[in-house]
Amino acid sequence: MKNFTYYRPTTAEQAVALLEARFGNTEMLAGGTDLLSLQKDYIAQPARVVSLNGIAGLNTITIGQRSVTIGAGVTLAAIAGHVQLSRLFPALASAAGEIGGPQIRNMGTLGGNLCQRNRCWYFRDEHSPCLLRGGNRCSAIEGENKYHAIFTANHRCVIASPSTLATGLIALGASAEILGPQNRRRTVELAKFYRAPAAANEREHTLAANELITSVTIPVRGLTNAAYEVRQKQSSDWPIVQCAVAFSAGRNGEKATGVRIVLSHVAPTPMIAEAAGRAVENRAITAVAATAAGRAAAEGAKPLSQNGYKVRLVEVAVKRALMIAAGLPRYWEA
Amino acid sequence: MPWPTTRRLIGTKIQRLDGVEKATGRAKYAFDIKRPRMLFAKVIRSPHAHATIKSIDTAAAEKVAGYRALYQIKKAGASVFFAGDEILAIAADTEEHLEDCVRAVRIEYTVQPHAVREDDALRSKTNTTGGPGGNNINAAGDFSTDNFENAFNGLAATHQADYGVGVISHQCLESHGLVAEWDAKQENLTVWASTQAVPNTAEGLRVHFKLKPGQVKCITNYMGGGFGSKFGPDIQGIAAAELARTTRQAVKLMLDRAEEVTVGGIRPSAYGNVKIGATKEGQIRAYEVECHGTGGISRGATVSFAILPYVYGPAIPNIKRRHRVARTNIQIARAMRAPNHPQNSILTELAIDDLAARLNINPMTLRLANLPPNDQAEAQANPRTFVGQRATIYRTEIEIIRKMCGWDRAWHAPGQGGKGVVKTGLGMALHTWGGGGRGPNPTRVTINQNGTVVAQSSSQDLGTAQRTVTAIIVAEILGLQPTDITVNLGDSSFGPSTPSGGSTTCPGTSPAILKAAETARDAFLTSLAGRLNVQRNQLSIAPGVVVNMANNQRIPFRQACGMLNVASIQGNGDWPTQKELQGNAKLREEWTTRLSNQGVGGVQIAEVKVDTETGVVKCSRFWAVQDCGLIINKLACESQVAGGVIMGLNYALYEECIYDRATGRQVNPNMEFYKLAGIADMPSIKVHMHDMPERGVIGIGEPPTIATAAAVGNAIFNATGVRVPIAPYTPERVLAALANRRAGNG
Repeated sequence: MKNFTYYRPTTAEQAVALLEARFGNTEMLAGGTDLLSLQKDYIAQPARVVSLNGIAGLNTITIGQRSVTIGAGVTLAAIAGHVQLSRLFPALASAAGEIGGPQIRNMGTLGGNLCQRNRCWYFRDEHSPCLLRGGNRCSAIEGENKYHAIFTANHRCVIASPSTLATGLIALGASAEILGPQNRRRTVELAKFYRAPAAANEREHTLAANELITSVTIPVRGLTNAAYEVRQKQSSDWPIVQCAVAFSAGRNGEKATGVRIVLSHVAPTPMIAEAAGRAVENRAITAVAATAAGRAAAEGAKPLSQNGYKVRLVEVAVKRALMIAAGLPRYWEA
Repeated sequence: MPWPTTRRLIGTKIQRLDGVEKATGRAKYAFDIKRPRMLFAKVIRSPHAHATIKSIDTAAAEKVAGYRALYQIKKAGASVFFAGDEILAIAADTEEHLEDCVRAVRIEYTVQPHAVREDDALRSKTNTTGGPGGNNINAAGDFSTDNFENAFNGLAATHQADYGVGVISHQCLESHGLVAEWDAKQENLTVWASTQAVPNTAEGLRVHFKLKPGQVKCITNYMGGGFGSKFGPDIQGIAAAELARTTRQAVKLMLDRAEEVTVGGIRPSAYGNVKIGATKEGQIRAYEVECHGTGGISRGATVSFAILPYVYGPAIPNIKRRHRVARTNIQIARAMRAPNHPQNSILTELAIDDLAARLNINPMTLRLANLPPNDQAEAQANPRTFVGQRATIYRTEIEIIRKMCGWDRAWHAPGQGGKGVVKTGLGMALHTWGGGGRGPNPTRVTINQNGTVVAQSSSQDLGTAQRTVTAIIVAEILGLQPTDITVNLGDSSFGPSTPSGGSTTCPGTSPAILKAAETARDAFLTSLAGRLNVQRNQLSIAPGVVVNMANNQRIPFRQACGMLNVASIQGNGDWPTQKELQGNAKLREEWTTRLSNQGVGGVQIAEVKVDTETGVVKCSRFWAVQDCGLIINKLACESQVAGGVIMGLNYALYEECIYDRATGRQVNPNMEFYKLAGIADMPSIKVHMHDMPERGVIGIGEPPTIATAAAVGNAIFNATGVRVPIAPYTPERVLAALANRRAGNG
């Protein structure tokens, strides 16, 4: 990798002061599970690396009456193993427990998971044309795209958003606390945090290059929630499609309200499947209703040459996530 | 010199001697070697699948801090034929400086057309691959038994379908490469290599540098995976040794993961349209196949279809084959664990099950009705060969596995895999392999006055427990425990040895080890008899002791060693020469049919659970029955079989090299999207070794990986009633096959 200057500030304010207005020259380092491989592959070539690991207070979990706040530096393993988080937000905790392998979960952090770069194999190969690296075309659209986005309308870059924590957090109505220059703080709903990039110097999110997520706050509203991922391998693998759901009531035959269904690995950003949510809004969650929601979620998909199968997997992931949340039998566990 | 008829250790379960070293990291592989002042080297490779080199400019690289030397492999004007093709190598003082040097090299190319897919290569009107001829066809041929045209007439059932398996990579856990170091006078070269052929690697370097015998020493104490792709120094090994000579420093050059996947060797693809037919009684009368495949840019026969139809060929009277092998702009093919067999197993065994379904016959019954017959002439000439008793062996093994897996209860008709969305199915397949041994494999056993025993040979332990095999045989003969034996392997200065390929190591070394151990024992007892003033034949070995029958004294082994009047006693053992074997039928019979042998059969059954909504296949249980003659270490043997099954499971479900058609580059040169099973993906694997000690030692490396993928493929068919034609059986392919049936096409 390219040589860089390493900074290890001890406060978030100091860290932000070290960041720059444009992406690329300075990168933040937390667990390093993404940045280091990007650097080794010369996809990221920062001249300055700002470690967040010396900052006190980024790795705390605070369980309040009305909200839960998780520091951006909390590891995936800590989220997965947290008893209260698992009880309140299984959509989040179960997804955290399925990421990568133990090594990844011990190093990877919440903030890193939300801000990680996409896994497109053309993006990560410096010899392949890629819009996100300044190229004039997306290699995936005509190329090998079985893991890419299927909701591709209006997208010139067809990456699949990889974060499986974002889906649960969006479904639960979580917000990110963001610190910017001059101590400017802002709160952004994670539902509005992501964007589809299409050029170099654009990221998969709306965080400015000189901003830092310090924590994520999840309202405690007693939502029923769950996540389900379709994955080929049980050990160390990315999901092919992942879905998180959250709603009020909806168990034991009650009608579900405020249904939010969110998908990852199907579009350049985490995607709220609004039609799917509407399909079960004010209905009891049954296998039939869940199936209908799955169908609705797949509407509008425009798969690429090799990933039409993911449309079917969206239907299944939505259905199963809803059924898990509703406490219905897991008919697929033979 | 027969194998002992009563065996105290041989054939029992004995833990590998180096297990703790490996588990704790104390075992040092070539990758772990650190020499004083060691430099690091890397090969600079073409990013293009086919191009002509316009210019190479290394001026900037040579000014980078830490730069030491470069070694030119290709010059301007030369062509490169795959993404990863070698151009030059650079050495620098640290890995970080090395990266900077590599990136400072400027190479300009004129990019040429390429073909990375079989269909593109077969269609190509030009030669993009540098081989002979005006196109990319590497080989083509027809074969037919006489009067084939009427072969399918009057048969009760015929089935015709496409089957196949794509290109996969060796993906060795320890990548290819070595550390090279010359002595102060620059005369003698030592390399620490990750190799399956210690003397061959030394010899390859010796020839390259035009040195005298003995001037190159290759050391391989531990080996992190080699499945047929590590038989010599390779271009990167030569580059490391060249750079070491130029710089007068040790140089380490091990491939990184992306290089390992893109240049470490591929297994050729194989696709075929198969037509198979049988009588209503289930006698397969005809097999016809039109097939193709690619072995990358390799010339010569890279993938052979000559063994089609696989296993059952001798039972099928009418056979027709037509094949074409295409050269593509991807790396060369290298022999990969039972070359050709897994592919040909898929092109045969899947068709057998589809035919069984047409006939409404249990596929086990169909197989039993079409086993290759015992070759009566062979059986008469030599009752211990495989060919003479193969039908009997298969029948016995099928009977064993039938009971092991509860086939009669658990098997159901295809598509009857349960009411839920997850369907369960069983599938089976058979395989065969040679696995015979040969020499030279000179082995030396030394009994020291201090009671220690050392066994030594240049042969390598690939992780197969060859070290333990050596200790078991020596300990058996000397009345000791395997842990009492110090085994020194993997050093070319210990003499010649045969490469570990084709499942030949255990049968190739074991007889030589036996002979060395017996020779040492005899010399030891003779010497001892002199010291004790008894006749040699009054002394014998019993567990832990030398027995003096003259006075019924039992002398502990170590104490007996202390009575020697020399520092050590040596026994050497090796195969007779090829000439001696050819000229002496009795000797040949002893070494190649009693001490060692060749030819095995095996049968495997997979149970899978197919989620028909997601297309995800989980192999839940697996059974394997395998013969391999006289078993030396039952634990290691079972472990080899389980390892073969795991590798075959990866062929079936996960492994594929995916190439971008536009750039010709592999998009998954990693372990992220080149998928490999982890612990959570493992089935329960039950192994039964069908022990046939009268047949001598036969190799076990290759056979147990062959049938696995076909067994899994057939289990998916049994579960769902739908044939997924192409391996690996990934979710998109399983869903496509299911959708195809729903559309009424299957």
